[in-house]
Amino acid sequence: MTPLLELRGLTRAYGSLTAVSGVDLSVLPGERHALIGPNGAGKSTLFATVAGTLPATAGTVLFDGADVTALPEAKRARRGLLRTYQHSSVFLGCSVLDNVALAVQRVHRVAHRFDRAARRFRRTEAEALRHLESVGLAGRGADPAAALSHGERRQLEVAMVLAAEPSLVMFDEPTAGMSAAETERFAALVERLPSELTLLIVEHDLDVVFRLADRVTVLHLGQVLASGTAEQIRADDAVRAAYLGSARTDDLFTGGTP
Amino acid sequence: MSAAERTQAVDGIRPRRTAGKAVVAVAVLLLLAAAPLVLGAYPVSTMTRILAFAVLVLSVDLLTGVTGLPTLGQAAYFGAGAYTAALVGIHLTSDASVQLLAGLVAGLVTAALTGWVAVRARGVVFLMLTLAIGESVHQVADTWSVVGASNGLAGMPPITLFGGPPLLAAGFVYWWVLAAAVVVFAAVALVVRSPYGRTLRGIRDNEARMRALGYRPALARYGVFCLAGAVAGTGGALWAAHARFVSPGDLGFEVAALALLSVVIGGAGSLWGPCLGAALVLLVRDNLSAAVGGHGPLVLGLVFVAVVFLLPRGVAGLAAGIRRRKEGLS
Repeated sequence: MTPLLELRGLTRAYGSLTAVSGVDLSVLPGERHALIGPNGAGKSTLFATVAGTLPATAGTVLFDGADVTALPEAKRARRGLLRTYQHSSVFLGCSVLDNVALAVQRVHRVAHRFDRAARRFRRTEAEALRHLESVGLAGRGADPAAALSHGERRQLEVAMVLAAEPSLVMFDEPTAGMSAAETERFAALVERLPSELTLLIVEHDLDVVFRLADRVTVLHLGQVLASGTAEQIRADDAVRAAYLGSARTDDLFTGGTP
Repeated sequence: MSAAERTQAVDGIRPRRTAGKAVVAVAVLLLLAAAPLVLGAYPVSTMTRILAFAVLVLSVDLLTGVTGLPTLGQAAYFGAGAYTAALVGIHLTSDASVQLLAGLVAGLVTAALTGWVAVRARGVVFLMLTLAIGESVHQVADTWSVVGASNGLAGMPPITLFGGPPLLAAGFVYWWVLAAAVVVFAAVALVVRSPYGRTLRGIRDNEARMRALGYRPALARYGVFCLAGAVAGTGGALWAAHARFVSPGDLGFEVAALALLSVVIGGAGSLWGPCLGAALVLLVRDNLSAAVGGHGPLVLGLVFVAVVFLLPRGVAGLAAGIRRRKEGLS
């Protein structure tokens, strides 16, 4: 099976600091792939580079068989590569329904129509409501998004991303800052997602990681330390060493003094 | 209560509120339409100017309140519409509908030509670019002899409608301007409620998220910039239809700043709020100013400071707060 997402030697440097260095990674269609690693391992940078939020310094991003390295974020999103943000990022001044409808109306190609009121686009409205229901936010559609709790905003983000009809969804630390109950609800929500959907999750909570992921890749100092099934990763000595802090942090600065 | 029932309950509130809004809208329209029957020529002429200025303010609100792009350049497109309508009136036809259309097209084309640069920026840079556009167009109007340079463009004959006699009475001009302004208001309201309006609010709230959802925000911003140019141009044509004289001062910095001030006072993002703001600003500048020894701008400044501190979301925000409190009690 050809991978849906393939990274070849992906590198991203900020000046002399190489945050992501020569990462090779492939994610098969339908796979639930978790990306873990200690703070500063380069997870978020890798994420932003794959999504197109940041341009890559070197290397290739292949998505669905095509080279998307040079494409801007919006074009990758149109091809079905969707991301969420580490800090929930919704449209706070809009209603909850509008948040989801923004994703739906782009897919339905009516985002620039102004010949009728938005609620007269029945198909778009119905689809947005369906996505709200699927994440458990039915009935909150008319509320302003700013009135949602942190956990509910995360649920709303899932609805927005799903409404954009993705083939790969990348979650950046989705349970960060959530209460135990909210984390549980979120994990259950992710488990219920359609099985053909491919997921790439950056996550700190290892319970969540081992519950959701088929495969786990460990990133350390910008490089892939280990990649395998959840069981293999749990038993890996190098991973343990990285997490318990025996690594030398001065390895972070590869360029030396300028 | 199940989720579906709750959705219905939320939907159930809407028709009643919409009906209430419709009653208020019809009442306001009837009052506005009846004004020339009870008021003298001078107040009617003041109201005509307020209506034309309110159309300009709507265009500023479309950019500032709906899309989140504070602008000081809309007076340029207002002026382009006013000068074009006046030129059409002097050289081609006195038909007000042709002048209106010409003003609309002039605003649209000027915005389309100059907006491509402006929409690449955001925030303060956008504000400064629109200011530069406004000042440049003002400079052209102030020096170009074809449009009368600093003397302004005079000699525009009274407007006619559909081949009828010239409209000399202030009341008839007022009714024409009112009808046109209502149509523009309805059109802007439709845009705000449409999927495109939703796209614009999305850009205002979180542009990075829009890109992550696959949008090209620059394109949508350019679209609304052209649209706002057309609205401002229409306002300019209405202004010319009433004043029958256009001068460089009509598209100067002061007009642009007062339009932005009206939006802030009225409540950015609401449509009726900024229209009220427009009325307040023009009344203070043109009518109250004489009563306070020419210190109208000082009064406006105090109003502005008071609004920023007491009503951060403008007059419309105040009304929304009262409505929420009522619902909370009932």
